[in-house]
Amino acid sequence: MTIFLQLVASGVAVGMIYAAIAFGYQLTFATSKTLNFGQGEALALGALFGLTLVPFTGYWLMIPLVLVFGLALGAVVERLAVRPAIKIKSEYGWIMATIALGIIFKNVAENVWGRDDLKFPSPLPETAIEIAGIRVLPMEILIVAGALLMMACVEIFNRKSIWGKAVVATSNDIDAAGLMGIDTKRVITLSYSISAMTAAFAGVLVAPVTLTGATMGAVLALKAFAVAIIGGLESGLGVIVGGLILGIAETLTGFYISTGYKDVPGLILLLVVLSIRPVGLFGKAVIKKV
Amino acid sequence: MTVTKRAFVGALLCATALGLTPAQAADPIKIGLTGPYTGGSSSMGVSMRDGAKLAAAEINKAGGVLGRQIQLVERDDEAKNEVGAQVAQELINKEKVVATVGFINTGVALAAQRFYQEAEIPVFNNVATGTVITNQFKEPDYDSNYVFRNSAYDVLQAGMMVDEALAQGHKKIAVLADSTNYGQLGREDIEKYLAAKSVKPVAVEKFNIKDVDMTAQLLKAQQAGADVILAYGIGPELAQIANGMAKLGWKVPMITSWPASMQSFIDIAGTNGNGVIMPQTFIEDQTLPKRKAFLESYYKTYGVTKIPTPVAGAQGYDSVYLIAAAIKQAGTTDGPKVRAALENLKEKVEGVVTTYETPFSAKDHNAISRNMVVFGKVQDGKIVYAKPEDAKNAGVVRTKEKSSN
Repeated sequence: MTIFLQLVASGVAVGMIYAAIAFGYQLTFATSKTLNFGQGEALALGALFGLTLVPFTGYWLMIPLVLVFGLALGAVVERLAVRPAIKIKSEYGWIMATIALGIIFKNVAENVWGRDDLKFPSPLPETAIEIAGIRVLPMEILIVAGALLMMACVEIFNRKSIWGKAVVATSNDIDAAGLMGIDTKRVITLSYSISAMTAAFAGVLVAPVTLTGATMGAVLALKAFAVAIIGGLESGLGVIVGGLILGIAETLTGFYISTGYKDVPGLILLLVVLSIRPVGLFGKAVIKKV
Repeated sequence: MTVTKRAFVGALLCATALGLTPAQAADPIKIGLTGPYTGGSSSMGVSMRDGAKLAAAEINKAGGVLGRQIQLVERDDEAKNEVGAQVAQELINKEKVVATVGFINTGVALAAQRFYQEAEIPVFNNVATGTVITNQFKEPDYDSNYVFRNSAYDVLQAGMMVDEALAQGHKKIAVLADSTNYGQLGREDIEKYLAAKSVKPVAVEKFNIKDVDMTAQLLKAQQAGADVILAYGIGPELAQIANGMAKLGWKVPMITSWPASMQSFIDIAGTNGNGVIMPQTFIEDQTLPKRKAFLESYYKTYGVTKIPTPVAGAQGYDSVYLIAAAIKQAGTTDGPKVRAALENLKEKVEGVVTTYETPFSAKDHNAISRNMVVFGKVQDGKIVYAKPEDAKNAGVVRTKEKSSN
């Protein structure tokens, strides 16, 4: 039983890493029906930027600076890659454009920070603590708490602030929101900024446990994308559940079936969800009027 | 190294970069230098390159080979098989190199070296360890084999790792390997050697490059009652294994393939990496004059206090000396003659790994034999001798055993 719980605990930590990244996909999809496929690179840039700041500011003071960096990065992505595509009503232009920007960001990061995997100094002790026979790293607890806190903050912002309400209105019906006097273009920019901000924050949050480097986001962002599809691209709760499902499925499969097949159940689940419930477990089925 | 020597090295590097030939010599002898200078294995590639450049600079300062200067033509293969194949063709057809040294990644070596074989140009693996590398063009299928190597190949490392585990009295062995060519070929070698010793591993597990969580693999090994872990992989993931063991509060000895001496392992594993042992051909110690001179000039030339991956630096350095000796003996840069000279090298070549006495024969293209490889141990950010007797004998040059490969 302890083993099972240990596997679940590790799965939860990994799953929350995925969820924290997947959350960013959900934010932009809600407002503009577009995604930033460079989310993994935003994560890596956030982590590397944070790594550069840490010696001067320490871990905790670095976080607000990384958040600002993420906001700016998201605005850049939206202006360069997404807005032109939306303007000409291109259905797919943003896909190529965000992927291209992601590649550019990766190359820039490789030139600035090199291509080695770097160690991110952990703000918490690196010795595991034991809770009822299960051993977890303090950093893993921080990841879970930090990710949940981040999601809660974004939700509160959306529900309480005037800007957040504009975001929600745009998500519900972009045309109606526009007619009500909401500047939907700026709302979309804002959603990209918040999305990249969550990615950058996720970057500095997970970096002490994963490795830090220009390519750190590649595998993680792909898994996070699967999580967003499983959970539903329009649901914040969905990505948490999706992340936990995928993370726990990976560790359990690794132990009870084979470590060689660790990634298989998550992908099978993805296919099953896509064929049975294409909007995801928590997605709202929308009827598209033509 | 004196100031003038440094100035010379600098001048030479500039000259190479600009594609100029040093004034006093005839046409330079072009030798290809290929490895990953960017990407995940770049710490190995860059150490290898810098070691090779030092050797070339020293040879040139002493008058070059056949009265001509050596010019290293550097190309980044990015650890990608297809780029390696392109680079090989460029070096052969455009740069007209007379030999090439390099290759960190087994996959790249296998993809690229057939072009050298076809062009009858010797190609020298100084870091890649896949056992199959020197067997790819072996007799009798091919008339002559143009592939040489001065790194400790996988069968040799796998055998050492298993023997060490058994010698320490471990009965229950868990094998962890990454899912790349490198890891899986190494795992096969370990399993074969274990079978020969009629030991069955209690667990054989796999992990992927960039995996962040090793809990499942380690718990399986732990539940199977493993009392030692043999891990085949490269720096970052080996470090995640060491960190994962610390997290689970499970402490058994860990014996890894040689890349645990990479700087990334030392940085990422931190104190969790202490005590991990791995086969090494070279440890940064200054016991022999040749090694002392090599290390001092490396530190000075590149402004570092430690070679990022010492084994790669030392093997890169030696590979250039071996090729130079063969060209000298052949009296020409003609590929088949240089190959023949390598297979019957008369001059003793004093390198930093060892002193090479007839390192190759027509049948044996591996310069490193098992007795030349020692166990290194990670200790507080450095790689030191794992065994006191090796440390004591550090000043003794371990030469190749006859017919050991």
